[in-house]
Amino acid sequence: MALKKIAEGAEAIIYATDVLGIPAVVKERMSKSYRQQTLDEKIRSERTRSEARILSRASNSGAAVPRVLMVSKYAIYTERLPGDTLNRKRLSESERMRALKRAGSQLALIHNAGITHGDYTTANILVGDSKVWVIDFGLGEMTSSVESRALDVLLMKRSISKEEYKVFEEAYSAGVAGREALKRVAEIEKRGRYQARTLLTA
Amino acid sequence: MRVLGIESSAHTLGIGIVENGRVLSNEKMMYQIGTAGLIPAKAADLHAENVHAVLREALSKAGLTLGEIEGIGYTMGPGIGPCLRVGELAAKTLAERYGLPMAPVNHALGHIEVARFAAGFRDPLVLYVSGGNSQILAIEGKPFRHYRVLGETFDIGIGNMLDSFAREAKLNPAWGSSVAKLAEGGSYIELPYTVKGMDFTFTGLLTAAGDKLAVHRHKDVAFSLQETSFAMLCEATERALLLTRKKELLLSGGVAQSKRLNEMLRLMAAQHRTRVYTAENQYNADNGAMIALVAEKMLENGMDARPEKCTTNQKYRIDSVRIGWR
Repeated sequence: MALKKIAEGAEAIIYATDVLGIPAVVKERMSKSYRQQTLDEKIRSERTRSEARILSRASNSGAAVPRVLMVSKYAIYTERLPGDTLNRKRLSESERMRALKRAGSQLALIHNAGITHGDYTTANILVGDSKVWVIDFGLGEMTSSVESRALDVLLMKRSISKEEYKVFEEAYSAGVAGREALKRVAEIEKRGRYQARTLLTA
Repeated sequence: MRVLGIESSAHTLGIGIVENGRVLSNEKMMYQIGTAGLIPAKAADLHAENVHAVLREALSKAGLTLGEIEGIGYTMGPGIGPCLRVGELAAKTLAERYGLPMAPVNHALGHIEVARFAAGFRDPLVLYVSGGNSQILAIEGKPFRHYRVLGETFDIGIGNMLDSFAREAKLNPAWGSSVAKLAEGGSYIELPYTVKGMDFTFTGLLTAAGDKLAVHRHKDVAFSLQETSFAMLCEATERALLLTRKKELLLSGGVAQSKRLNEMLRLMAAQHRTRVYTAENQYNADNGAMIALVAEKMLENGMDARPEKCTTNQKYRIDSVRIGWR
């Protein structure tokens, strides 16, 4: 398996490779020399296992996420998907709106499966020729917390325009859980802390 | 211009004098917390009793008289109400008596800007760690030039967390440097680790560490508390560093005096070829010079306030402050 580095994040390096001839990407959580070895190994292995579980659960509930091919102690191998992320891909206005509509309905599926994404921005929406996937569940959690769901919505809201959010919100809101989360979004926006503090987007 | 700054937000009463960005004097007096922690009314009384003596000391070190001072700055907040009041009142009295312009200064901005000026950084990522606050910040231009909070503690500041632990472990004086001393030669035991993106929480960790005191060697708990909480700060800062792609990292605030935190943060930053600067300890600890420095910038940029408009604000957030200078 030849490895080719394609991206580097704060906690992991992403490589392109293949698994038994299937195009794959590896996300390997790197060791951090500043923290105690026991703590370092625990953080990396627990997060790797948790992310793999979350991906499988999302996939089983019908969400469009990369399929997990293999998991090792600190690395997840998933299928390599064709496309570019929504923040980078050049799209016509109608194509972009269609992608955001899909991002909304995908988030509803993910939330209904008892998962929150934790970093739901346009940088983590992968747009192919005819399909849209949600990627990078590194900050994901198995939870049905309304607050966490609302934060997913809020993060996306801060990374797109008003008109785009309308389309996203409509696609997301088609369910009881969605309506509850949107009510919470409005509440969070009224809190002092978040008025003063704008969420950063990648 | 020659500006005098008064800091009284917590245990320290500090008065500093600067002239054109140069510190002429930086005098202080500290409330001794012992094993009991800080009692607000007692600290405020001590500040009130000593403000005149510290003022005299600062003027004499600078070789100036009050008549030669051209502006007054004081800490508006965040901080402890009764303590802040003393500084505000002293500043108003001086301003009124000598007809001086006044600048109400944000305490966190004082810590950060004194370090940024000393480092010569233009656009750093900042890890600000003190008693009441723990924040990751960067300058942003919109809707006005200010420090944007990218990540922060969801509950208590790391300094207060270490102080609370010091009280539980019966350390004297009950604060962070005593925890650092106790931690020497300790070994690692597992404690809860909570980071959410660029935010973090400390209360769960504090409770768990308190419980461990009954069953483990105190030095092991102290060591692990430091290792765990500092690793949390490093992870959140590293994420912010990659997201913002900054090449300068500033560490400031009371907890920036920690050798171990410095060491860990520098290990992390070296991986990303990022320059790190930590302020001198006299500026990491609360002090009047940092307030004078920011006050001078404010006064030079027409950001003075009329004395009757000058107040205190215990929860004065740094991201609401406009920075009108480079």
